[in-house]
Amino acid sequence: MASLRSSCLLGASSVRTALRPGARIGAAFTRSMASVSEVPAQPEAKLRSFQIYRWNPDTPSEKPRLQTYTLDLNKTGPMILDALIRIKNELDPTVTFRRSCREGICGSCAMNINGQNTLACLCKIPLDTAADVKIYPLPHTYVVKDLVPDLTHFYKQYKSIKPYLQRDTPAEDGKEYRQSKADRKKLDGLYECILCACCSTSCPSYWWNSEEYLGPAILLQSYRWLADSRDERTAERKTNLENSMSLYRCHTILNCTKACPKGLNPGLAVAEIKKTMALGN
Amino acid sequence: MGGRPSAATRGAFAKSSFQSQLMGVAAFHNTARRSAILPPGPQRIIGTVNDPAPVPEPSSAHGSYHWSFERLLAAGLVPLIVTPFASGSLNPATDAILCSVLLLHSHMGFQSVVIDYIPQKTYPGLRKIFWWLLNAATVTVGVGLYEFETNDVGITEAVKRIWRA
Repeated sequence: MASLRSSCLLGASSVRTALRPGARIGAAFTRSMASVSEVPAQPEAKLRSFQIYRWNPDTPSEKPRLQTYTLDLNKTGPMILDALIRIKNELDPTVTFRRSCREGICGSCAMNINGQNTLACLCKIPLDTAADVKIYPLPHTYVVKDLVPDLTHFYKQYKSIKPYLQRDTPAEDGKEYRQSKADRKKLDGLYECILCACCSTSCPSYWWNSEEYLGPAILLQSYRWLADSRDERTAERKTNLENSMSLYRCHTILNCTKACPKGLNPGLAVAEIKKTMALGN
Repeated sequence: MGGRPSAATRGAFAKSSFQSQLMGVAAFHNTARRSAILPPGPQRIIGTVNDPAPVPEPSSAHGSYHWSFERLLAAGLVPLIVTPFASGSLNPATDAILCSVLLLHSHMGFQSVVIDYIPQKTYPGLRKIFWWLLNAATVTVGVGLYEFETNDVGITEAVKRIWRA
């Protein structure tokens, strides 16, 4: 965006000087004058097309379609989210998507980019190929509009595992629940999950049985509380997974681990739950 | 089914979808009728958006015991298959164990397939049909294997002969 703005300024100043050919140029303009004389080497436009899934709930009988937008990559930031924001700002304000933090910590911009679930803000626009970039909403989700999926059931499932510390005994010193360094280390790779749903929506088992199967994201969170040494309801948490659907629809496909934009390993967490359930510790 | 709907049906579609939205059902791919064999239905949200998803009744027999049993069967198949060929002895007892473990293993595997692809909630009738079809198939194969073991050469010897044929 910054480069775009500066190129516009340059254009404006060159127009001004052209209109006043004999005018005296003040000291303030010397810099822009200098750059105007340097500018003619405009880099060649690097055009790239983005095919974006469009579906509007106001016209539900119209089929979803792919709409193509072409951008000059020289004037666009490096990430897919930069491109989407530029498309929305400059080409088509009706393109709908979620975004917030633009740095991979909120999980809002999860979408399917070139066949891979990932966060648009962490996904670079591929430069090694000239092929169109295809952007779809997360697969097998109910679409609210364009790239916005309905994650209601996902959040309801998250709530069902009681993702908070459950304790009956008060802390020994009456202040805080202490934990050894080794116990704290067990939570590394689990607490970082931002619940973007990239892993769950990449899991075929979750596609077929999302109503009952919890999916990798929720199971990773489930394990985060099972592994927490301060939690005292481990038995209850495990009992809630003792059925054929909640946990055991996982067939170790490992699409979850491949998809995770934060580099976590939900597949390993699910395997750890299965192990503790089988060995009973 | 696959054809383009007339203006009238499209209008009806839009209207019904509008009504379903009014009733709190989230919008879904309510496009022109699709020619899928088992198209996904509209989204069902049980309770309000703030209620947790329901937790099923706990049952170890369908949970961890079932899973452990599956792994034991799968792991047990390795020595059961290797031993008769490695030792060269044909023992009817090991043959019988191999047959029954193989049968149970494939039965549980196909059970998983039925559970995965025919969801109980969406197609309860179809699930029941396939469940019993699978049971019937397993019994048929079991009887067949019994006949093969008692009246013919048995599974190990058969594999050996095919291997050498």
